[in-house]
Amino acid sequence: MKKHSAGSTAIILLILIYLLIPLVVSAIYSLFSNWTGIVPRGFTIEKYVEIFSDPLFRAALARTILICIIPIVITIVVVLLALFVTAIYFPRLEKYVQIICMIPYTIQGVILSISILSLYVSNKTILGNRLIMLIGAYCIIILPYIYQGIRNGMRAVNMPVLLEAAEMLGASKLYAFFRVIVPNILSAIIVSSLLAVGIIFGDYVLVRNLDGSAFQNIQIYLYQAMKSDGMKASAVFVVIMAVTFAISAVVLYLQSRQNKSAKGAK
Amino acid sequence: MTKRKYVYLLALVPFIVIALMYELVPIVRIILNSFVSDDSGLITMANYQTVFTKLLYRKAIFNSIKISLLSAAAGIIIAFLGARAAHNSGGKVRSVFMTILNMVSNFAGVPLASAYMILLGNSGVMIQMARQFGWDALANFNLYSTNGISLVYVYFQIPLSTLLMIPAFEGIRKEWQEASTLLGANNTTFWGRVGIPVLMPSIMGTFSVLFANALAAYATVYALMMDSIALLPVQIAGCFVGEVKIRNGLGGALSVVMMLVMVIMIFVTNAISHRFEKGVRK
Repeated sequence: MKKHSAGSTAIILLILIYLLIPLVVSAIYSLFSNWTGIVPRGFTIEKYVEIFSDPLFRAALARTILICIIPIVITIVVVLLALFVTAIYFPRLEKYVQIICMIPYTIQGVILSISILSLYVSNKTILGNRLIMLIGAYCIIILPYIYQGIRNGMRAVNMPVLLEAAEMLGASKLYAFFRVIVPNILSAIIVSSLLAVGIIFGDYVLVRNLDGSAFQNIQIYLYQAMKSDGMKASAVFVVIMAVTFAISAVVLYLQSRQNKSAKGAK
Repeated sequence: MTKRKYVYLLALVPFIVIALMYELVPIVRIILNSFVSDDSGLITMANYQTVFTKLLYRKAIFNSIKISLLSAAAGIIIAFLGARAAHNSGGKVRSVFMTILNMVSNFAGVPLASAYMILLGNSGVMIQMARQFGWDALANFNLYSTNGISLVYVYFQIPLSTLLMIPAFEGIRKEWQEASTLLGANNTTFWGRVGIPVLMPSIMGTFSVLFANALAAYATVYALMMDSIALLPVQIAGCFVGEVKIRNGLGGALSVVMMLVMVIMIFVTNAISHRFEKGVRK
């Protein structure tokens, strides 16, 4: 049995080493000006200073953060409303809402972006605006994650009972939904929004296909750095991965707390 | 009362509007477009004819399927070993392993391409080391080829597939392994006759997710090779972006082919896992 678990640990270690090598190598590469032998030489943080003092980089970072917020807010509100109505008044429609929310899983970025592009590119109204198209596309691409998060949250809080209690105390269903249910599933909403932030933060396909390079987000910045300066690209890479890991760390923490409280409730 | 109930349907309107505008109508349009000629605007099958006769597109279909199958197969094998190891070790090792997998599962697209370029690109760190030490096999490695791309794809398949497979192993009971050992089976026999057949539905489900994941991957490969590789997503985007004239019909036909490939894979994996589920029930 002992031997068995040693073998398992070895496999896990091998996989982890394989997964971490590209990350570690890029991080080291960004910090040393000369790495041709085994040992990297010439430690410097000059590339980090360079990118953070580059107004283009700061603008790209700001754009990426801004473009996260709008689609996430829209999608959360829209999905909350839809799930509220279907869960309480029209349970039979729920299946269709689910199907619509799950389609983006299978079509993914390329087909979605070019479909939207080809439909609206020659539109003269505001719908033809590239940024509007991008926001619309982001709403759809994060739809499955927001839907599942909210849906799971609603299942966990036993919505019918809570609503009934609120109604007996004289609240309307709509009021009860937004004042009782929504605060109770807030952590589920936060987790799914963070997942959505992660997706939009990592997006290159949609922004490239829909906005060309007019809307330079952080991924486009990285792409351009890659073509010119490997060391600078590695520094941008480290910044992107640090943000991504921070987001997923918060998600994991919140999820484990949720699971614990769910278990405690049982 | 019923009248008031239907007032609430209004709350569904924003959802339906967004879904129609940015999901359903665009996709239906792209499918319809695939039957319209880019030159004459008439209804035609010519786009599909081009897709299946022109060498570039045939190669794109072939390469896409090949890379997706290869990377999904490699991903599932590694995931099987990794998830089994996690299942056997349990406790702290398992949770650390899962945390790291979760973190790394976001590592794809342009950042992944950039990391591999530093590692194995033409003047990558490992390539230069290999040159110094005279390891020709590694020194001559070409990242910018279908094999090189497959390697990068395998990377982003591993965290996803392992995370999907770990819960499945909870269905394997310790007693089964003990029982089969008592009956004289060794480890290999157990996994071949009991373990893998029981896991087959999860393996197939994961395989189809991995296949779809690789088939649709675009950012990673574009960042490394731009338009110079024959792959379906790259050729589809090429029909719409960066060209003087948008080729709706041809791009539509390529998109439909890509969606069909995905649907066929889902059916195949479903059929296989269904057979195993039946076997278990008997």
